[in-house]
Amino acid sequence: MAGFSRSASFFLFLAALTTAPAAAQETVTATLSANLGGLAKLTLSSTTVTFPDADPDAFPLISPATGPLTVTVKARASAGSTVRLTISAVDDLRSGTFIIPVSTLTWTTAGAGFIGGTVSRAAAQTLGTWTGSGVNVGTQTYRFQNSWVYAPGTYTLVLYYTLAAP
Amino acid sequence: MMVPAISTRAAAFALAALLTAGFPLSARAQLLNLSISPTTVTFPNSDPDTVPIVTSAVVQVTYRVRQNNNNPWILSVLANGHLIAGSATVDISNVSWVATPSPPFQSGVLSRTVAQRVAGGIGNQANASQGQITFRLANSWNYVAGLYTQTIVFTLTAP
Repeated sequence: MAGFSRSASFFLFLAALTTAPAAAQETVTATLSANLGGLAKLTLSSTTVTFPDADPDAFPLISPATGPLTVTVKARASAGSTVRLTISAVDDLRSGTFIIPVSTLTWTTAGAGFIGGTVSRAAAQTLGTWTGSGVNVGTQTYRFQNSWVYAPGTYTLVLYYTLAAP
Repeated sequence: MMVPAISTRAAAFALAALLTAGFPLSARAQLLNLSISPTTVTFPNSDPDTVPIVTSAVVQVTYRVRQNNNNPWILSVLANGHLIAGSATVDISNVSWVATPSPPFQSGVLSRTVAQRVAGGIGNQANASQGQITFRLANSWNYVAGLYTQTIVFTLTAP
């Protein structure tokens, strides 16, 4: 009787194996690789700033007729790195042979990370700094220091904006 | 009455052999084949403003299902984690895919916790069949710069 029991158990086990096979499975592995390299993008709402003629007594500081500039800074930078926006000038304001020092141009700002300053032809001045990647939007409003001593004329100046995202 | 053990074993073997012969298809394990090409999926660096969705080259999936009777089969994919570049990560849910033909293939979003269905059907695919998958990465200025990688596992299963 004991021999019969062992054989029956063996039979049931074998039958289970043959009628209910284990799930079949096949796998393959792929690698995703995303090159999210450093990027920097700067957008100004206008590339021209115009100051109207004004009485120096009534308007010692002239605001631009074109209103504030909207500055949009976009950067994809390495972790913890400093993103910096600077302004530089390579000359003074000129009208023919007449010159007005570029330091008569100052600016104020609004927006996180943006800071006010004075234009210089000696060194680039910082308009804003931020840490790491992201999008930052602010406004910049220039002011021109008016004076009776300036020779009449239309003065122009080119300013260079540089955005660096390491 | 005492039954000789040797006779019972012989009978059991004979009966098991009959069962196997009587149900040959259900008794045999399914034969599955799966391959993909290429095995590296690359997303190029792109301006998020002009390329908000970065697409990969097409990944060719070749699969074959045999001895599956009328049972279901499923192809799934599971990511082994988020996209990683040093200490920086990009959530793997920013990677989705578009697959053809549909059916049996379907589009979806990668997950690192739950295997996502890529394709599925019933019965056999007697001949090697193919599908095409294009992966898509949601681009952003907020990502930390770096070269991100992660592995994903495709699994073809028949119960």
